[in-house]
Amino acid sequence: MASSSSTSTSTSTSTSTSVPARVRRQLPTSPWLFAAPGLLVVGIFILYPFVSTLINSFTDRRTLVPGEFVGLANFRELLHDEMFWIGLRNSTLYVLGVVPALVLLPLLLALLVQKNIPGIGFFRSAFYTPVVASIVVVGLIWVWLLDERGLVNSLLEAIGVGRVGFLSDQWLLLLSAMAVTVWKGLGYYMIIYLAALANVPRELHEAAAVDGAGTVRRFLTVTVPAVRSTMVLVGALSSVAAFKVFSEVYLMAGPNGGPAGEDTTLVMLVQRTGTGLTGRVGYASAISVVVFVVTVALMLLVLRADRKEDA
Amino acid sequence: MRMPRRALAAAVVALVLPLSACGSGGDDSGSTDASGKVEGDITFQTWNLRANFKPYFEGLVADFEKKYPGTHVKWVDQPAEGYADKISADAAGGTLPDVVNVSPDLAAPLAKAGLALDLDKAAAKYKKEYLPDAWASHEIPGMDGTYAFPWYLNTGPLFYNKSLFKEAGLDASKPPKTYDELFADALELADKSDGKVATLANVPSIEDFGRYGVDLMNKEGTAFAFNDAKGVQLLTKYKELYDAKALDPQALTATPESSGKKFLTGAVAMNPGSALDLGNFKKQAPNLYKNIGITDQITSTGKVNMYVMGLMVNAQTKKKPAAVAFAHFVTDAQNQMSFAKKVAIFPSTAGSLDDPYFTKEDGTDETRVRIAAAKSLKNAANYTPVLFSDQMKTELQNNVAKALQGKVSPKEALDNAVKACDRLLQQQG
Repeated sequence: MASSSSTSTSTSTSTSTSVPARVRRQLPTSPWLFAAPGLLVVGIFILYPFVSTLINSFTDRRTLVPGEFVGLANFRELLHDEMFWIGLRNSTLYVLGVVPALVLLPLLLALLVQKNIPGIGFFRSAFYTPVVASIVVVGLIWVWLLDERGLVNSLLEAIGVGRVGFLSDQWLLLLSAMAVTVWKGLGYYMIIYLAALANVPRELHEAAAVDGAGTVRRFLTVTVPAVRSTMVLVGALSSVAAFKVFSEVYLMAGPNGGPAGEDTTLVMLVQRTGTGLTGRVGYASAISVVVFVVTVALMLLVLRADRKEDA
Repeated sequence: MRMPRRALAAAVVALVLPLSACGSGGDDSGSTDASGKVEGDITFQTWNLRANFKPYFEGLVADFEKKYPGTHVKWVDQPAEGYADKISADAAGGTLPDVVNVSPDLAAPLAKAGLALDLDKAAAKYKKEYLPDAWASHEIPGMDGTYAFPWYLNTGPLFYNKSLFKEAGLDASKPPKTYDELFADALELADKSDGKVATLANVPSIEDFGRYGVDLMNKEGTAFAFNDAKGVQLLTKYKELYDAKALDPQALTATPESSGKKFLTGAVAMNPGSALDLGNFKKQAPNLYKNIGITDQITSTGKVNMYVMGLMVNAQTKKKPAAVAFAHFVTDAQNQMSFAKKVAIFPSTAGSLDDPYFTKEDGTDETRVRIAAAKSLKNAANYTPVLFSDQMKTELQNNVAKALQGKVSPKEALDNAVKACDRLLQQQG
């Protein structure tokens, strides 16, 4: 018996030590193999284009001509390119115009539709519909609405205001495009805020109400602090998206970027400069690098502001 | 955890290998010899033609394969939107089809990059089959040779809205024939409608400068010259129109498509078009169709503007004899004529425009427009310089817009446009 027991123990010990040994042998490569498909996708579709853009920005590469190293020539040219400064101005204005609206309005909308009352599902869906609609379709509809002879101008004319050049004045065009961006983004950020609001303890509101705080006071002292990190997230996401705006302005202002190109944004300039058979890929890459740097700077700025508030 | 070297090497190889496929295709651009047996598989790319002409092209491909056993033609069609981008992606990736539908301005950069076959060498025997001007339309300034077979030609009349003319007290049976008449009528229309009806929806394009008689480039084709006195005169006239609201307020951002829509809705009184548009008017704006007036393009040179489509043979094709034979087959007199009977286009082959189809009236508007267009094509010019890129078009339009807004003088605007276009021209090499 003793012998049998001893053998059994020995076998069991041998089995238990051999399995971890095999697992240990596989450890170094296995994680990489699991990660390989993802790494491959990231490498091909993100890292390679990024590095390629960075390298191209130092060359005079054109669509059909490989180009040569030109150092910082493209960046120097940017400084003297009027259209680059127009693009930078418009993209910055876009951030300044769109981000505050997209941080605040969806929060107010989320507070409105947060309540569980009959039929609220319809309103939630209605507010979210523009998010899933194609930007091209949305853009064209707004172009029809704001056209010199469109619905909005017909109404304005009927009430005696007269026609307004929403699509012919450079500033009104930019404002109209911003309005479309805000209108289309409301539902998306509203959903993010709804998730955040669900985590705000009801007791806090009740306690504040007992202490005599009104609706506005409770919003400022309970709701806003509770969803502040979400507001930072929305601010970061919307500022990056706003700085890289393309579709809305392209559709409403036309491929040339509005009258005399005055509504061109930086990404539109990248598209216009770098595409086509005679595209200046090197120069467009230099603009892309600037867009990247500014975008990262915007993110850091928002995150830093958040950290300061925490401190 | 440190990554083992072998795993790192494998990851690098895995990343780099697929990318190595992104380089240019093999270099086979040296030879222009297209002699030899017509056989093998080739790819043929058209520009937004599948939706309306699928049976025609399928029949064409079948006829070619029957005529040349051992050949196989794969027909692909690309949408109009982003066509140049698609070609540039293919050209850069070494996947350009063997036979490609191009316009002269698309053929130019491809020829400069050595991707278009010189047909003066590879297909010289076919040259006499085409109208001399059409064959010459794919010559590239600064280069010897011709880089695409001429395919179909197009031109069009100037349409006008008779009821808008009548409302303004103008004689709808006497549309403007000269630029002076056009400008006078436009100002009167704007005045009588209190600025509510514009005559034109577009700012002047490079073609307008050409039709006005402005020299667009120097004789050598090495620099632009549309900032001469005549060019300034045309832009000054347009500025007058813009200030008087005889130009649509959205003209500064207009595209040909948006201008067409403005005309359809009666927002503008005149718009250039082609015989194809009559069908659109009939379907989409029956009231406009009832009041449609048709007149000749206005030109100071005696030559109307002509659009040319071509078929380029990829210089790197492995099947040159088949590619050249197919491009010629599609553009020969018989096949162009049969295509012209399906759609309002005009053959570029010698003698085809004398066919009764282009000369004999049958009382319909369509035929009247077709006959007038065919007649004008015999003495037409492609005013868009083949080296005039999209970026140059943008520079011109934006500088013209600045002049119309009064931010700069017409002379200053054109000087700036010429300077910018010259810089882009030099960068093109």
